[in-house]
Amino acid sequence: MAIEIAMPKLGWTMEEGVLVEWLKKDGDAVNAGEILFTVESDKALQEVESFDSGILRIPPDSPPPGSTVKVGALLAYLVQPGESAPFEKQAAAKAPAPNAAVQTTASATPIARQTSQATVRANEAIPNISPRARRIATELGVNWMQLKGSGRTGRIVERDVRAAARPPTFAPVVIPPPTQITPVAQRAAQELGVDLNALAARFPGKRITREDVEQAAKENFTSHLKAEPREQTTSQRAPMTPTRRVIAQRMSESAHTTAPVTLTTEVDASELVRLREQLKADKVASQQPIPTFTDLLAKLSAHALREHPALNSRIEGDEIVTEPSVHIGIAVDTERGLLVPVLRDAQNKSLRQIAAEAQELVARTREGKASGDELRGSTFTITNLGMYDIDAFTPIINLPECAILGVGRIVPKQVVMDDSERVAVRRMMFLSLTFDHRLVDGAPAARFLQRIKQLVEQPYLWLVD
Amino acid sequence: MRELTFTEAAREALTEQMEKDPTIFVVGEGIGPRGGNFNTTLGLYEKYGPMRLRDTPIVERGFVGMCCGAAMTGSRPVVDFMFFDFILDSMGELINQIAKIQYMSSGRIKMPLVLRGSIGVGGSAATHHSGSYYPFFVHLPGIRVALPTNAYDAKGLFKTALTGNDPVLFLEHKLLLNKKAPVPEEEYFIPFGQAAIAREGSDATVVALGSMVPKALEAGEALSKEGSAIEVIDPRTLNPLDIDTILESVHKTGRLLIVDETFAPCGVGAEIATQVMHKAFDDLDAPVARLNGLQTPTPYSPPLEAALIPNTQTITQALRDLLAE
Repeated sequence: MAIEIAMPKLGWTMEEGVLVEWLKKDGDAVNAGEILFTVESDKALQEVESFDSGILRIPPDSPPPGSTVKVGALLAYLVQPGESAPFEKQAAAKAPAPNAAVQTTASATPIARQTSQATVRANEAIPNISPRARRIATELGVNWMQLKGSGRTGRIVERDVRAAARPPTFAPVVIPPPTQITPVAQRAAQELGVDLNALAARFPGKRITREDVEQAAKENFTSHLKAEPREQTTSQRAPMTPTRRVIAQRMSESAHTTAPVTLTTEVDASELVRLREQLKADKVASQQPIPTFTDLLAKLSAHALREHPALNSRIEGDEIVTEPSVHIGIAVDTERGLLVPVLRDAQNKSLRQIAAEAQELVARTREGKASGDELRGSTFTITNLGMYDIDAFTPIINLPECAILGVGRIVPKQVVMDDSERVAVRRMMFLSLTFDHRLVDGAPAARFLQRIKQLVEQPYLWLVD
Repeated sequence: MRELTFTEAAREALTEQMEKDPTIFVVGEGIGPRGGNFNTTLGLYEKYGPMRLRDTPIVERGFVGMCCGAAMTGSRPVVDFMFFDFILDSMGELINQIAKIQYMSSGRIKMPLVLRGSIGVGGSAATHHSGSYYPFFVHLPGIRVALPTNAYDAKGLFKTALTGNDPVLFLEHKLLLNKKAPVPEEEYFIPFGQAAIAREGSDATVVALGSMVPKALEAGEALSKEGSAIEVIDPRTLNPLDIDTILESVHKTGRLLIVDETFAPCGVGAEIATQVMHKAFDDLDAPVARLNGLQTPTPYSPPLEAALIPNTQTITQALRDLLAE
């Protein structure tokens, strides 16, 4: 019996994923445990291994690498030696049963979401929908919860879903094919400012080397000179990447559901700077990673959050859930967009541990190798824009969290010292705390930020932890 | 192309195979010099004589049992029941011996036996001569059930029945026997387990059995004037049943009606509906619908008989209801 290989569901909210690349070819022998293909979903690049052994057979109509595929969609078969694949036996035959099972699970998600929004639509019944209409709604991305059914008993049927589906757009679709890029080429591209995506699109399927990048850098330079007087006249359209779509969805969800208030305060980070410099200068521990300012803030925020558990809580339905542990999300800018890997149980970890873990976690996130689990479950987020000379800003709350701390740049300023009224040059920094006023009021949030300020200015208070 | 009636086409299949295969003989009441009540063996007695066209007394259990033994010992008997209702008198032989002997002998003994007869409600044949009963037989392992609905299929399926090694029930609906259809001169076989798409459409699927096929086609024609495209599937054999063709059609249309003149409870429609629900749940846009004959003995009275089984109007209405689900 041929074993079906389908797009796996790699997270609760995953409904589709990009089939990035096959690591086995049609006809290859595969052992259980070997990696079959990679999937980009839920903001992470993940490798999918084979549960069984056999010969990999990829049907000619299987989705091509680079395409977005529904969870549960058939990608390939594993057959035994000598066995022919189902698509060879009967081109027209279909296998609805396994798909049906997976799709049922997949489409359970909107119902789950519905329940979690219980406060908004408490007693509203879920409309009846035919299995086929539900399947097609999933395929077309139609939110059937909003539809009115035209079936005899008010049931939503296929025609209702099709009528609600947006008219197809005829915009040119540009999906860069997956391309392998050597690490050297990657570094060269960063140094020379070459857009790797554009380069990958130019050489589909080819491994991009440093020579290609350097060549592209030269061409860029010359073509830039030539192209300068000409202006692009037509707008360009490209489909959102899954990462972009998730970011867009979460940001607008946060903007629409939270009651955000941003507090800013200027803090004296001189002690923090000094602490970091001493750690850097310590020759004995030179092998250890030096904590970044974000690491230091993660550590002291964890300390402050334990004292202010309201800021470490979230809303679930009509209840407020407060977590005993502090999981700090760290906003990381990657090629694919904003990702937030999570530093778990920060309250129990030493500064060294946090530094080592964060370094590794951030690196893996930038490479697209962080798993879905590593990108979920934070209770508080830190976002640092100091390196871009930003002073203060209004970060958007990373739902379901209560608050997010925005970190500005550290600059030397002349400051009047409190005690002596003399002027000194101090390393000053702005902190911006956006909190959800549904969960906490202004005064407790301000007290929390004040405590953060104190912990920045007096690191000994938390270094004893 | 020349046109033959259902009966002529089936008789041609029998003649062609009797010519080729001397082990084929026919047993039944009035199938000798009389040529069969429904002309199933007309002219064959003159050709092949009393040894191969053997009239019997009215004793179904006896001649079915003897044919079972003949098939076991290498002959290829054809039992012609005239009215298929009377196979009921030989159920012990049929179920306990004919259906099981290949299994019990680990396949060493073959059972190349064809049991044929007229079925169905029509022509005021009343309660002893109007049965179809195929739901019983598709329930059993070891028996093939062919239900042709036109001359072309009748010949191709009968040829297949006369060349296989399994017992085959070959059911001939009495309302279809004189219907003509083009039948090629060249020899052909229709494999078992291959449904025919009698009419293509995209809005709803009808699986029609036996005499319901032409009526479903008429209903499809009527609904095309109302703007609905109905697909009609004729399974042609019930064991094996070609569920894949039905599933493909449901995948396309999302709606399924099964029309069968036999009784609904535990019928073929129940089986098809369950398989479709299980294997194509996410293709269904409406509950699977069934339209069956009433569960009652067949009356003699023509108006009562007509009221018993689905007709073009009731099928058309059932399809309208299904499309509105």
